[in-house]
Amino acid sequence: MFLNRLILGLSTGSFYSLAAMGIVLIFKVTGLMNFAYGNMAMFMAYVTYTFVSLGLGAWSALVLTLLVSMLFGYAVERFTLRPLRKLSHGSMLIVTFGLLMILEGLATQIWGTQYKSLPELIAGRPLIFRGDFGIVVFRRQDLLLFAVLAAVSFLMFLLYRFTKVGIAIRAVSENEKAAQLMGIDPNKVISWSWMVGTAIGTMVAVLGAPRTYVSPTMMIYYQIQGFTAAVLGGFDSLFGALCGGLALGVIENLIGGYISNELKTTLSLAIIVGILLVRPQGLFGSEEIRRV
Amino acid sequence: MLELRNVTVSYGPVVAVKDVSLKVEKSSITTILGANGSGKTSLLHAIVGLNKIVAGEILFEGERIDKLEAHEIVRRGLVLCPDNRMVFQKMTVLENLQAGAYLRREDLSKDFDLVFTLFPRLKERLKQRAGTLSGGERQMLAIARSLMAKPKLLMLDEPSTGLAPNLVSEIMRAIKKINESGVTILLVEQSAYAALKISHYGYVLQTGRLVMEGPSERLMKDSSVVESYLGGR
Repeated sequence: MFLNRLILGLSTGSFYSLAAMGIVLIFKVTGLMNFAYGNMAMFMAYVTYTFVSLGLGAWSALVLTLLVSMLFGYAVERFTLRPLRKLSHGSMLIVTFGLLMILEGLATQIWGTQYKSLPELIAGRPLIFRGDFGIVVFRRQDLLLFAVLAAVSFLMFLLYRFTKVGIAIRAVSENEKAAQLMGIDPNKVISWSWMVGTAIGTMVAVLGAPRTYVSPTMMIYYQIQGFTAAVLGGFDSLFGALCGGLALGVIENLIGGYISNELKTTLSLAIIVGILLVRPQGLFGSEEIRRV
Repeated sequence: MLELRNVTVSYGPVVAVKDVSLKVEKSSITTILGANGSGKTSLLHAIVGLNKIVAGEILFEGERIDKLEAHEIVRRGLVLCPDNRMVFQKMTVLENLQAGAYLRREDLSKDFDLVFTLFPRLKERLKQRAGTLSGGERQMLAIARSLMAKPKLLMLDEPSTGLAPNLVSEIMRAIKKINESGVTILLVEQSAYAALKISHYGYVLQTGRLVMEGPSERLMKDSSVVESYLGGR
């Protein structure tokens, strides 16, 4: 019972982690909380749905959508946010709010209000293990989800630590002017992070679609919990986002299983408020660096 | 090598630099002296493209650069070493140096050697985060990081600020060595004596305007410079 709750929590948490990583990636470089993040991903889920209903296989539809999502992320940043960058942070936030609403309206206009469904990428009977620990059930789609989360985290880690792109991202997120003095073009780095961030969000939407169905509001909960996970992790740390998401998913499911299913969101958020009271910088946020 | 013609820089209605013309000759060390708030940093940021100028022209190796973005200017070999608070504090010393070499594609081992001969202390701290370094070490890192870009002309923004006197002379010696290795230097300083001692030509900037210029030896003897910048020596 406990193990299954834990697995369920980890799989929900993987969604939160991925969502949080995309949010944090964009935040680190642009300094902007992208409120349209979830709905951009929702829109991309509809694009996948369209590809599938045109007769494409689920996998090719996903790959194609990821490419489209990168273009989409690039275009949103380049044409709606960059012109405002030097003017005001507040107006950029408002633009992301505007996008959130526009995309929701647009999706309803194009695809209607009826829920659509996407096939699971890996279909098949769940894997069942029996042993001293009882019966443990893995859904195949969950295994795929874990693999995706692991792959994304690992790739981000390699990129961050060992490549020029990683150095450029970290330089721009720490001090944009100093980064420019190294010959780094901040616009390039920003475009790049929007492309990757949007693609990660799209992954969440497409992998989550078999649970949530494709609907204009499908991503709202993931966006909120992704944001919460990011805050829990420290908001400027990708590793923090990863851990924050998994922790949030597990806490939520354990509360749902042992205390009350109705209160799981309320209580898990209350716990997080508690954690943040003790550690305001989040679990892995950067504290002020002090000299030794 | 670098020439400014009637350059004016302003932030909205506030004019920071007014009608400045100056020249930096190839392989020289040129100094701009100025007190706090005289517009030194504004001028440097304008040269390297972080601020846009509102009037005048900036030429580097005979071509206008005042319409270019900062990263394009750096690519041409005009590099600014900012004050030491602008090292990447969350990155290690090594990563800072790698960031400095962002535009380089070739093998960097010679550059690392050069930087470690100039500042052996950095080699000991390679894996340490820049935020944990002392002020002097951070200044060394800032200079080393700029050198990794292989500049033709290196501009330094107050490399001596906040450093103990013996460190100031260590930094100045390093700057002289860098110059001897073939890099043209534009040094912007408050600490006039140390700067004039190693430089060939000097300008004095006061509230955004150039008020005096001349060979460094002459400036060192000039009574008004002595009074305002050399503490009456």
